Amino acid sequence: MIRAWYVALAILLAPAGGAAQRAERVAGASSLTGIFEAANVAASRGDHLGAISNFRKLTEAGVHDPDVYFNLATSFAQSGDYPRAILNYERALTLRPGDSKASENLRAAEKALEEQRAEAEGEAMIQRSSSLSDAVYGGLSEDRLAIALLVANLLFFVGLGWASIGRRRNGWLYALLVSSGVALLFCALGLGAKAGMLRDGPRAVALGERVVLREGPDPRAQVRGEARGGDRGEIVDRDRDFVKLRVVNGLEGWTPSAGIGFIDPDHGVH
Amino acid sequence: MRFLTLAFVAMTVLPWATTAAAAPEVTVTLAAAPTEVRVGEPTRLEVQVRVRGGGRIQNLELSDLKKYPELEIISHQTMRPMRFSFGFGSGVQKESSITNVYVLRPTVAGTYEFAPAVAKVDGKVYRSGPLTLVVHPGAGDVSGGADPAAAPGAAVESELSGARYDERAFLRTVVEPDEVYIGQQLNVTVYLYTRLRLSPQSVIPGKPSMDGFWVHDEPITSLQSQTVQVMGANYRAYVVQRSAAFPQRSGELTIGPPKVTFDVGGGSLFDAPERVQRVGVPVTVDVKPLPSPAPAGAVVGKYTVRAWLDRTTADTGDAVTLRVDAAGLGNVQDLRIQVPPIVGVRTLQPAIRDQRRFQDGKLSGTRSWEWILIPEAPGEHKVPPIELHFFDPDTEEYGVASTAALTFTSSGAARPPQPAIEPVDAPSKPSTAAFGPIRMYSALMRDETPVRDRGWFVWLLAFPPALFVLLMLGAGALRRREQRSATAGAVQRQLIRSAENALQANDPRSFYDRIVGSITHALDSRLDEPVGGLPHAQLRTRLVAEGFDDDLVQRVINELEGADFARFAASGVSKDEMERCHQRTAAIVERIQRSRRKK
Repeated sequence: MIRAWYVALAILLAPAGGAAQRAERVAGASSLTGIFEAANVAASRGDHLGAISNFRKLTEAGVHDPDVYFNLATSFAQSGDYPRAILNYERALTLRPGDSKASENLRAAEKALEEQRAEAEGEAMIQRSSSLSDAVYGGLSEDRLAIALLVANLLFFVGLGWASIGRRRNGWLYALLVSSGVALLFCALGLGAKAGMLRDGPRAVALGERVVLREGPDPRAQVRGEARGGDRGEIVDRDRDFVKLRVVNGLEGWTPSAGIGFIDPDHGVH
Repeated sequence: MRFLTLAFVAMTVLPWATTAAAAPEVTVTLAAAPTEVRVGEPTRLEVQVRVRGGGRIQNLELSDLKKYPELEIISHQTMRPMRFSFGFGSGVQKESSITNVYVLRPTVAGTYEFAPAVAKVDGKVYRSGPLTLVVHPGAGDVSGGADPAAAPGAAVESELSGARYDERAFLRTVVEPDEVYIGQQLNVTVYLYTRLRLSPQSVIPGKPSMDGFWVHDEPITSLQSQTVQVMGANYRAYVVQRSAAFPQRSGELTIGPPKVTFDVGGGSLFDAPERVQRVGVPVTVDVKPLPSPAPAGAVVGKYTVRAWLDRTTADTGDAVTLRVDAAGLGNVQDLRIQVPPIVGVRTLQPAIRDQRRFQDGKLSGTRSWEWILIPEAPGEHKVPPIELHFFDPDTEEYGVASTAALTFTSSGAARPPQPAIEPVDAPSKPSTAAFGPIRMYSALMRDETPVRDRGWFVWLLAFPPALFVLLMLGAGALRRREQRSATAGAVQRQLIRSAENALQANDPRSFYDRIVGSITHALDSRLDEPVGGLPHAQLRTRLVAEGFDDDLVQRVINELEGADFARFAASGVSKDEMERCHQRTAAIVERIQRSRRKK
């Protein structure tokens, strides 16, 4: 009898609990939306620091949205912090590779940084990545490649199965086999490249004006060279608060991780 | 003849024998030339052991040399000659010696007593006489060298400013002058005073902190020393750091304590070097502001300026380069020059280059500006004189350097101004137009797991190949089964045809053989095992156990028994009976092939 009462009570309270969870979700969503709108208002008023602060709140809250990164990058660019603008445009393009406006703005930020530096120093060049995989797969998102891989995989093996056991083999069957096989290879390579199998470490952007690269993870270690703000590279090793950065031109050395921004958003937000 | 031979042998061998039996003749000497010198003058000290008669020299030592660090060893040479002499009647004379020659430079006056040098020959110890070296105070031991900045001089003895005295070694910071105007050069020199014999290669100076100064360091390529007297003792003074510093603000500025480490000793294998570290003391500099009234933009130093254009005629809209060079004594990085606005001419931001020289303790240099002037209207354009105000600290007066007015002419149609290029002196602002508007809508996507990391992705990826493999396995099994049944069917057909031929030929024995073979083969194929050798009762049991219906089992057994009987009584079989048997067998075989076995 008592057990029946408990069951009845649970049935009565279950909808109330669900409603509370829904309300919490709605409240969280409206809060994030409110921050986003406040950031946009600040950006439209020219308060770039306020906009950056709010957009950062979103990313620190776990929002990894290409539009948020785009707006954060644009706010950095408009405030003159081009290395961080480059970093966040790269993140936006990682999440949405086909974003032409983000690509355009990324080039504009690089150009502005080069001009700013050339004006002060006479000449300037930013080390940017130009690998073949970036050129081929740059416009495709990882998820799209994964879905395409599944479809190509299915078509290829269906075609193969049909060709193996079917009694009638037409020309279209061989065309399907070849095309789906090529697509399968293309998608598998692309997915591997996107997952970092062709790299030695996560991608990063130098954020400081001059990022000193040293022989070892210690501020007293001998200086090997320096990377400039906006230079791309890979993090090939880590030791406490230091990371080993390999710049696109091959130069590598240890530098405090505070001066480096990871392009993949789950590594850190700058 | 025998006597002559013995005499020759005796004359030859006897001297050898006497030489071997005699003790070696050992001489140890210790000498200096001269034995009386002045401080700073070199003297030659020679220690020698000479052995005649074949003794082996094991050691030669002058221990008192280490006792006097005031005697600087300029050079050290060791000689080990060995001489053999052959004399009729005296045999072979072997003479060996070791000579150590030291060239010493005394740094402190006094009398230096050397105990006898000790030599060890064939285990025996031999000694020289003692030696006394007298060093008189020198006339030139206080004054410095030619470098005016490196002149710690006699003042050190009375007032040791910028140093913490130490008997062995200490650092001293000399600032000249100690009171300057803001922006005026002062020289900071760090000296190492030492009475120790240091290894110049081991000296590692630590730069003093110089907050509030713009500093130009003069590299010290080799350590040069001079002798100075401090507290009655002679020291070697080395310049380890030399900088030109320009104070950037007025008031009291402090130059931090310098540091140095160096090695002492280590001149031989048995003398391990000792690492010595010294820290100096901070020095305060009084920095005065420039006298009032100061012209706007005045810098400290003494400069001349000149300007010129790369050409005097240009098309409208084409570029003309204006170059201005300001050269002189002082910190050229402080120089600021502006081109006044020129009507009808757009002036771009200048390119600036600096050249610096540090000579005779003074920093001088040239700063060059290059402006691009773009005439936007035709006509003659005048570049007004450009002025540079400076304060000369030597005369404590302001001066002005000025360029001559320059003109150039442009021709061609007027061009509208292009505001995209920033005008001179406009603050550098980041461009906002290039980055477009921000996005007003966002899905605010959270960090989602990528498709490739989701659990179902691997399963979906593996499903088609796994299905393909299963399909291939199934198809293979089916194909094998079809092949087997096709083979069985062909044999069956062959047996039936043979039975028909036997029927046509009216050959009952052969006919019933084929009938039995046909039924047996059908059963073999169906049961996947040979049943031809089984007795009929056992075959019945087996067929029933395999699930064949009773009627078929009964028919099979009846037909096989009838055929067996007919094969042994073939003469009594009619052709009609064989035809009916053929029809029944065909029906039985068909039923066997269609029948289903129990699981």
